[in-house]
Amino acid sequence: MLLRFGRIRTAMPTGVPKSLTAAGHKATSTQRPKAKGETDFEPRVLAFCCNWCSYAGADLAGTSRRQMPPNVRIIRVNCTGRVDPAFILDALSQGADGVLISGCHPGDCHYTSGNLKMKSRFVLLQKTLEEAGIEPDRIHLQWASAAEGDVFTEGITSMVERIKALGPNPARKD
Amino acid sequence: MTGEKIVKIEPVTRLEGHGDITIKIGKDGKVKDAQFNVTSTRFFEKFLEGRFAEEAPKLASRICGICPEPHHLAAVRAVEAAWDVTPPASAVKLRRLLINAKQFSSHALHFFALAAPDFLVGPFGDPGKRNLVTITKALPDVSKMALQMMQFGQELAAAIGGTAIHPVTAIPGGMLNPFSEEKRDQFLKRVTDVKQWTSDTVSLAKKIMDDYMDAITKLAVGPTYYIGTHNEGALEIYDGNIRIMDPDGGIVEDIKPKDYRKYFAEYVPEHSYATHVYYKPVGYPAGVWRAGSLARINVVDRMATPLAQEALQELRAKLGRPIHATFAYHWARIVELVQAIEEIEGLLNDSQIVSKDVKILDVKPKKGDGVGCVEAPRGTLIHHYWTDERGIITKANMIVATNNNIGGIEKSLMEVAKQVFEQKAHQKLKLPKPMIS
Amino acid sequence: MTKRIAMAQLTSCWGCDQSLLDLHLGLLELLPELEIVYWPAVVDFKLKDLESMPDESIHIGLVEGSCRTEDDVRLLNIMRAKSKILVAWGVCSCYGGIHGLANQWDLDELVDRKFMKADTVTDPRLPSENVPPFVSNVQPNVDVVDFNIMLPGCPPTSKNTIEALSAILSGKPFDLPEKSVCDQCPKVKQDKHITKFHRTHEGRIDPNKCLLDQGYLCLGFATIGFCGAICPTVNSPCKGCFGPVLRVKDHGAKIISALGAIAEMTPEELKDSFPDPIGSFYFTDYAASYLSRMRNKARSKRK
Repeated sequence: MLLRFGRIRTAMPTGVPKSLTAAGHKATSTQRPKAKGETDFEPRVLAFCCNWCSYAGADLAGTSRRQMPPNVRIIRVNCTGRVDPAFILDALSQGADGVLISGCHPGDCHYTSGNLKMKSRFVLLQKTLEEAGIEPDRIHLQWASAAEGDVFTEGITSMVERIKALGPNPARKD
Repeated sequence: MTGEKIVKIEPVTRLEGHGDITIKIGKDGKVKDAQFNVTSTRFFEKFLEGRFAEEAPKLASRICGICPEPHHLAAVRAVEAAWDVTPPASAVKLRRLLINAKQFSSHALHFFALAAPDFLVGPFGDPGKRNLVTITKALPDVSKMALQMMQFGQELAAAIGGTAIHPVTAIPGGMLNPFSEEKRDQFLKRVTDVKQWTSDTVSLAKKIMDDYMDAITKLAVGPTYYIGTHNEGALEIYDGNIRIMDPDGGIVEDIKPKDYRKYFAEYVPEHSYATHVYYKPVGYPAGVWRAGSLARINVVDRMATPLAQEALQELRAKLGRPIHATFAYHWARIVELVQAIEEIEGLLNDSQIVSKDVKILDVKPKKGDGVGCVEAPRGTLIHHYWTDERGIITKANMIVATNNNIGGIEKSLMEVAKQVFEQKAHQKLKLPKPMIS
Repeated sequence: MTKRIAMAQLTSCWGCDQSLLDLHLGLLELLPELEIVYWPAVVDFKLKDLESMPDESIHIGLVEGSCRTEDDVRLLNIMRAKSKILVAWGVCSCYGGIHGLANQWDLDELVDRKFMKADTVTDPRLPSENVPPFVSNVQPNVDVVDFNIMLPGCPPTSKNTIEALSAILSGKPFDLPEKSVCDQCPKVKQDKHITKFHRTHEGRIDPNKCLLDQGYLCLGFATIGFCGAICPTVNSPCKGCFGPVLRVKDHGAKIISALGAIAEMTPEELKDSFPDPIGSFYFTDYAASYLSRMRNKARSKRK
């Protein structure tokens, strides 16, 4: 399976029958009825995935044919510890509706503690977003190992749901 | 027969801040309106909300680059009042030294750079020449003295405050840095020269005032209320009570700063972002008051130091009490300059000024509100903060020194506009030959 | 040959002008090299004098302060047109300045607090006669017009200013330092083991040791080393007022990055140490932050 940027998305469009989605998750995402006045808002979510765990997990999700919404662009980094809070802010400022960071479980980081640094940075950043009047749930941090294609999928799917509920990034260029 | 005329001065120069002047003259040649348009504001009261209160002294100092020290100190005193914190006596002395250092350099700056050009070049002199640069060329000895006086004040302020422009050492509970003996000795050595220069400045000011006495006693002499801080009747700029004097010279109030809201009100004009602060019980515009040097020397019985007291007595012998003449501000400022250097000398000679222990250890935030009041060079300054149980500012109210004067400025402006445009009074003044031509 | 120089003040505190005057006797050497054609702080030329000058006829233009009103924007554009070399004088010009913190709120909230609801105001109104309208968002001046030179500082020290002016006058390049405040700080730095952050009024600061080591939030590590470390020298933690080290786009984001990496405490403890992250991590450069820009874009879309 090719592990290049953009190829992890499954080919399945929205509107996939519930039965084909990943086992055990709250499959409300692509099937929920449109709320009154809601447009076809398709979030654009950026996901920073660490090479050793989450990117491999995403790859596994792909090879296992797990369904995921196509709204996510993935950027592979060596470690979530590489993700400068400025990247997250830059993405939002350029119009990303949401930013997901996905890394190794605490204790499993390939570089020992990069993910722990990410966790601390994330918590401070999220609080700062909130104080600045930007919805803190536009960013999310998750752990998904190389073996957890399902967890990865679930994470992406709920992220997209969450962002859909929040609506487009007010700072988005149209 | 002329139509309505609008005279616009854009911008007013040699001041800190943004101001235009708009004078409306009707078809009949009568002055209809004289406006001092303050054309900007930055909303400090709002963006202080949510901040750690102990950081307010560093935030609030940015209100003004000429007088950041008063803001720094009013802010820290407001927080200490809100948290019931008393700094040690040594820290109080350092703060007094800081505010007097600033008073000294600011008054020197104001006199030499902002005011003197008008008198030395003359009100009808070339506007292109009416500035400090000309003084450096035409009166090099005077300008050298002036610059060295400002330097003394600024360097002393920096030695106490860390830096002169936007000091950083005042903290709830005291000061962050003691004053070293070495620095104290260096500054003490310089005091003799600085006192001499101050005395020379007094002589120069007296000469200028005598030369311009006609203008001083004729232009912009309308009465107002006055406010200023005193300590048992003596002029005080760090910690005292506020006296309010009515236009006839009677002291109508003597209040603790924390009660200011009963007496201070802000009028929002249509034509200025700076509010006019006035005497609340009397209403606007009757209650317009002035603050700053002239107001302070009006409301106090005496100066706190001997040489300054002499200078005040000379001034009062010439112009009485209260003095309404707006131009007398310049002379009053010089009287205060003398007190500033005398206070500085006294504090430098106080052994407690080099104490190593300048902060109490245990400072705990609490929910409450507090008022910090000091005299900035331009007038009474009040910072009032409300904090929550974590010591975070939930609300801020500030009476900025200059706002005490804006109403008075407009009143003087209207008066002078009438005198100049209607009565052509400026053509009838007895004016000296300018020192610089 | 004297160089024509103009100094314009937008919405600001006058600190940069004061800093220039604080050259004191040094002014006597500098002034003869200059022909001051506009400097309302000290000299009497009026705005119409500035407007009537030919374009690029001013050798050096310095702009202090940033745009809070439409008059500020107008003056900024005039200065750009009339100046050959335009200098962003001070952090208000470079990054928006302290009043950039007001961007946390919408303009009507700011106006409300100052003019309508202030405790001592007796007759609320928003002035509108002969005063320029406010702009809804404070921006760094460098986002409004192009500048030739950045001279950060709050204010730039007299030394900084004379360094820059001397370089410009002699046609030499003027480069900002590549270092942070730590480089100039006299405190002794050791291994960092920050297990708890202290607020500046807590305890007693050890005057010999690095303030950050002691758990006080000193931002010198992320702040351009241009001031001589004046504040840490007197035991006052750096607030970052000179702006970020070179090439860092968002000062506060960099600080969050560093704290997240070095703080030896749980993420929750770290978060609880800073109930006001904007106030703690931004000081004079909030207007230049991603957050402020995002908020502004959202605001202008709503209109």
